[in-house]
Amino acid sequence: MAALPRRIIKETQRLMQEPVPGISAVPDDSNARYFHVIVTGPEDSPFEGGLFKLELFLPEDYPMSAPKVRFITKIYHPNIDRLGRICLDILKDKWSPALQIRTVLLSIQALLSAPNPDDPLANDVAELWKVNESEAIRNAKEWTRRYAMDN
Amino acid sequence: MEQFEQLLTCAICLDRYRNPKLLPCQHSFCMEPCLEGLVDYVRRQVKCPECRAEHRIPYQGVQGFPTNVTLQRFLELHIEITGELPDPTSGQVMERCNVCSEKSYCSFCHHCDKKICDECKGAHMEILRREISRINNQIRRGLHRLQDSLNLVEKNVQNIQTNCLSVGEEVEEIYRRLNKALKDRTEYLRKEIDRYLGTEMRTLTGLKDNLEQEISNILSNCDLADKHMNESVDIWDDCELMDAKEIFLKTIEFIRNFEYENTDYTRKIRLVLGHDPNQLVLHVAGYGDLNIASSSSPFSQGTSTGLLQPPGPGLMRSKSDHRLAFRNQDQGYERGYGDQDQDNVLSGRKFGERTQKPEKTDRYGSSYGRSGADYGDDYDHDRSARSKYSSRFRRRNTMADDDSDTESRGVRFHEQQHKNERERPLDTEDVTKGPLSGITRLADSPRVMKKLQENPTGKKEKKEPVTPQPPKQPQVVTKRPPPPATRQVSEEDEISKIKKQNKGATTSTETAPETRPAERTTTEERLPTQRKLNAPEAPSSTEESDGTATAFQQQQQRKQAQTKPAPPATRRSSDASHKKTARSASSDSSSSAESSSSGAVRSTGAPFTTEEVKQKYLARSEVPAETRSRTSSASAKEQPKPFQSRFLNKTSTPQPTPKDEDEESETSTEEETETEEESDEPSSKKTEEKMIKSDIGALLARSANARDHGRKDGSPLNRSKYSTPEESANRYGGRRRTTTTDEEPPRYGYTSRFLNKSKSSAAIPPDDEDYTPKYSTPAANDEDSKYPSNRSRYMALKERRQRLARSRSSQQFGDEDDAEDNVATPISPTTSNPTAYLASRGYGTSASAHDLSRSRSSHALKSRDSSPERQSASASNEKDGAALSSWARYLKNKYGNRSGGKDKESASGGGSQTSGSASSSAAARRLSLGLPLRSSTDLASSDDDQKNMQGSPTTHIATTAAAGIAAAAAGTSPRSQYLQKCQQLFQIGSRGSEAGCFTWPRGVAVGPDNSIVVADSSNHRVQVFDSRGRFLKEFGQYGSGEGEFDCLAGVAVNRIGQYIIADRYNHRIQVFDPSGRFLRSFGSQGTADGRFNYPWGIATDALGFIYVCDKENHRIQVFQSDGTFVGKFGAIGNKEGQLEHPHYIAVSNTNRVIVSDSNNHRIQIFDVNGKVITSFGSEGSEEGQFKFPRGVAVDDQGYICVADSGNNRIQIFHPDGTFLRALGCWGSQKGEFKGLEGVAMTPDGHILVCDRENHRIQVF
Repeated sequence: MAALPRRIIKETQRLMQEPVPGISAVPDDSNARYFHVIVTGPEDSPFEGGLFKLELFLPEDYPMSAPKVRFITKIYHPNIDRLGRICLDILKDKWSPALQIRTVLLSIQALLSAPNPDDPLANDVAELWKVNESEAIRNAKEWTRRYAMDN
Repeated sequence: MEQFEQLLTCAICLDRYRNPKLLPCQHSFCMEPCLEGLVDYVRRQVKCPECRAEHRIPYQGVQGFPTNVTLQRFLELHIEITGELPDPTSGQVMERCNVCSEKSYCSFCHHCDKKICDECKGAHMEILRREISRINNQIRRGLHRLQDSLNLVEKNVQNIQTNCLSVGEEVEEIYRRLNKALKDRTEYLRKEIDRYLGTEMRTLTGLKDNLEQEISNILSNCDLADKHMNESVDIWDDCELMDAKEIFLKTIEFIRNFEYENTDYTRKIRLVLGHDPNQLVLHVAGYGDLNIASSSSPFSQGTSTGLLQPPGPGLMRSKSDHRLAFRNQDQGYERGYGDQDQDNVLSGRKFGERTQKPEKTDRYGSSYGRSGADYGDDYDHDRSARSKYSSRFRRRNTMADDDSDTESRGVRFHEQQHKNERERPLDTEDVTKGPLSGITRLADSPRVMKKLQENPTGKKEKKEPVTPQPPKQPQVVTKRPPPPATRQVSEEDEISKIKKQNKGATTSTETAPETRPAERTTTEERLPTQRKLNAPEAPSSTEESDGTATAFQQQQQRKQAQTKPAPPATRRSSDASHKKTARSASSDSSSSAESSSSGAVRSTGAPFTTEEVKQKYLARSEVPAETRSRTSSASAKEQPKPFQSRFLNKTSTPQPTPKDEDEESETSTEEETETEEESDEPSSKKTEEKMIKSDIGALLARSANARDHGRKDGSPLNRSKYSTPEESANRYGGRRRTTTTDEEPPRYGYTSRFLNKSKSSAAIPPDDEDYTPKYSTPAANDEDSKYPSNRSRYMALKERRQRLARSRSSQQFGDEDDAEDNVATPISPTTSNPTAYLASRGYGTSASAHDLSRSRSSHALKSRDSSPERQSASASNEKDGAALSSWARYLKNKYGNRSGGKDKESASGGGSQTSGSASSSAAARRLSLGLPLRSSTDLASSDDDQKNMQGSPTTHIATTAAAGIAAAAAGTSPRSQYLQKCQQLFQIGSRGSEAGCFTWPRGVAVGPDNSIVVADSSNHRVQVFDSRGRFLKEFGQYGSGEGEFDCLAGVAVNRIGQYIIADRYNHRIQVFDPSGRFLRSFGSQGTADGRFNYPWGIATDALGFIYVCDKENHRIQVFQSDGTFVGKFGAIGNKEGQLEHPHYIAVSNTNRVIVSDSNNHRIQIFDVNGKVITSFGSEGSEEGQFKFPRGVAVDDQGYICVADSGNNRIQIFHPDGTFLRALGCWGSQKGEFKGLEGVAMTPDGHILVCDRENHRIQVF
């Protein structure tokens, strides 16, 4: 019954009409609050060339609470854990209703280009990133090639 | 421009700013819901979404932030430039919906008089629509009454014509005869006179001639003698002289002796008349009277003239919605003033939609009033009286309008004002109005016409332009009590009670016009002084008027007491009145009013000549009798007695009274028992009123007491107070000789009735009302203001009471009403909880509550000990029997393992079983009601309770075995039965949207009598077929309103035959009664408990729990039959107990919950608590493997049927999950499938398969 809020409809329309470069977000056929997202790895980052699948779900009280975003594609990143959960402040306490799906996805894209090992979610990755950044980057590239470039 | 627009867009809702509020950080957001949603209530601050600055919230909340006026100007500017339409909700402020308490843009709902959100409003409108259509149905059903009346009227017209014709002929005949007799006699007399004259004349002429001759003879003699004597010429000799002398002597003797026999000839002829001529003239002049009065009373009693009565019980009032009833009440009140004033008809419009509903009661009332007057003896008299009356009435009405000093009136008019505010879309002066009912012809309303034009199909708004009832009313002829009152009476006692009140209203309205003209004319004509006498005393308090009424009444009784030993009842009544006055000692004026009134009466009586009094009295005496008949009709046992007999039959008259008494007490007690809780409410309210109205409270208490005390003491006080029995006797002296004594009994009957009523304290005010207008008239008569105030106050009181009574019993009514249709589940939409549900089914609330609580607490359902209260409940249940029978039949069908005796039990549905079957029937009832009892598995044992007593309720085997008897009895084990299945028995439907066609059918279920219920998904409807596939009915259409579907999927039928539908794209469950009428819906989109994401399959268990496959939430949710969330289980995943896109669900009678875990390609079986019992199947196309299994069904032995959608086959499994057989393949031939959806298994072993892409149902 609960109709889709106008905001979600608007956002969805805008995402369709003016897609953000490097990001595609398509709502699920059966659930307009569920988006299939593909983010391209940013240039000059270990994830360059990869296509990362994410899922994004807008909860009931969106935009008053943050969307739930999760990487489906495996990624080697200090702020993203094995389950694809993302450690990003705007998805947590720094969420603001003024943010949108596109801004969230842009932030995630930015997070890929600027890993923050000081605020880690995947501790082993963050450790390696801090200790041996080049190897970490190599791992990231390897994971990208392995998981994000197949199809 | 783009950027400009962006500046006008709120960052939160991404919409145009609505009431932009400026935060201290200079960022602006809509006040609602954006800023409102940002508030951190704990810390009382708001964090700017743009800059994350935190601001304290002003004291009065976010609206305390300044409005960004600049932005608003820009917005206006933007609107001007672009011409874009402003948001319809732009000017509005969000409020909490008064129904669902969600914040939303609310608008005023006339249905509930609250500001509510659109959703709720839609729901309410839907309710109204349904109600209107139901009422409409009732009207349609009841319309025949009017038709009958019409026929009657026509017949009566004929009768009257023939009657008048024959009477006219009779008159003519008599005229002829009289004329002839008169003529003959006149001629005869004339002839006689002539004859007499002739003879007399002859004699007299003869006499005259003789006399003349004598005179001439004598004169000549004299002359001769003179000449001879004087001349002394001796001519004559002596002889001659002697002769001459002799002659002269003789002459002188003759002259001396001659005497004219005067008397002989002065005989006058006289016309001697047999009768006094004046009398004769009078007699002839009044040789006959048309005694219409007496011939009209048979009309009312329906005895002699053979005029027909309109049929008794008729249109039932809408009982479903108390609010509606409430309004009707109001309307009733409005109409109570009759159709004489336009304003009221218009203001009838206040009731909006309900204009369509003919409020006959009052209409009749007014017409009765008129008819009564018309038939009065003194036509002109009455007529003038009436006109006076009506004008007075009108005046009074208006007076009442601006007068609001009394509480009741204040309240009432408060309400009215409220309603006045409402627009009256259907209100127009120029529409045709029913002349009797004032019902407008909706089709003539421009608004409706416009609507119809705009929306040819959209009759929804005003669903039925109910044509005004034909203006024919038999009442005018028959003077019958208003049918609306009578009609309902015979139905049920409760209803009769309410009706009685109704009728009370009508009676009063009726009585008033009738009584008053007569009475008033008396007083007005004879006693202008009397008026003056009364005027100063005109008390405006009810009590006082009551007192006067009583006084009058008492006088009459006293009268009676003098003429003969007063019957105890009389004394009682007088005592009651005495009590009244005594209690209200504080109001001195009351007694004075009484005395004055009695004095008035006295003085009225004195100057009357007997005849006049008689005449008046006759005119009047008719009235009480009539009213009485009317009142007695209230008690549903109208005694069609001719007027006269009632009057004359003193001894027999008391008899009706006890009857009345009984009935009163019946109703009152019933009332009490029925609604113990509710009775508090009305009474408390009443007490309030009492306080305010000062005297009424006393009256209530008093009258309650009056009955007790009344019999004992003979009220000497009372006598002394009305200390003028002789005078009153005087006053009535003349009358009494003729009719007074006769007249008493009815009065007595009436009074006692009144007293009886008053004992049920709640019933007083209405009764008083019945009574007041009638008796208060002599005194109240002359006070224009007094009467209305009484009346209106009483009206208000009564109204309120009725309203209460109605609202409280509305559920029952709804029930009974529906019982007519043999519909099992007429729950009013407002009754959502089980108790209410039970109550609505006519169970004693306490009993059912008890039942419920007990059954909840005790898992084992010790229904045996429930017998005592069940017994009591059963008393009230009997009515349900009829309604229950249908589902009882269904039960029998579905769980057809019962012996004949049991069948009977279940058929009577807990109505009147003997104690032997008590326990099982109690359980059966509970079960069959679909009661959400939490007692896990004892369910099926309900019927087998007796067999199973020792067995733990959870012994599945026992129940299964029991349940399986049907199949076993059939002689085939289901296993072999299923093994034999290979051929399609028949199929239903093809693609299309006509009845019997489908567009992607999905769910299928088995209903009562093995009917086949199909969720015709893309036709957005449910279709029902009988067990042979013949189309029975359909319901539902596309939409998101109540009773509308959007690609419904699952369908289930519970044990009481309700349809439970998973309204897939509306993310809700809807429940319909067995006739397909919407009952309720629950759920909305979401992931929280009780919310759905594309609910698909649905199932219900024997206890009425509803299991829903919440497909996109990958879980099963369980609800009570009323939609209360009970529990959920399952989450996305492929582990045990996890689900991925569960599509269909089935619940066995052993409470195994079988779920098609589609995307995991398996069937999982849970217990009712969500614990996995077993699962079977894996992806593949081997036996026992699935590809996206969808429909599941389970038979009463636990065999499971799975629609293996991806493999386009049906697989049947043993209860333990082992493969039994498979049938079908891809294709569109018989027995082939394309895209399987739901399956169902009938109790007789058929398998129903929803063959989606072939748009058909196949039966195996």
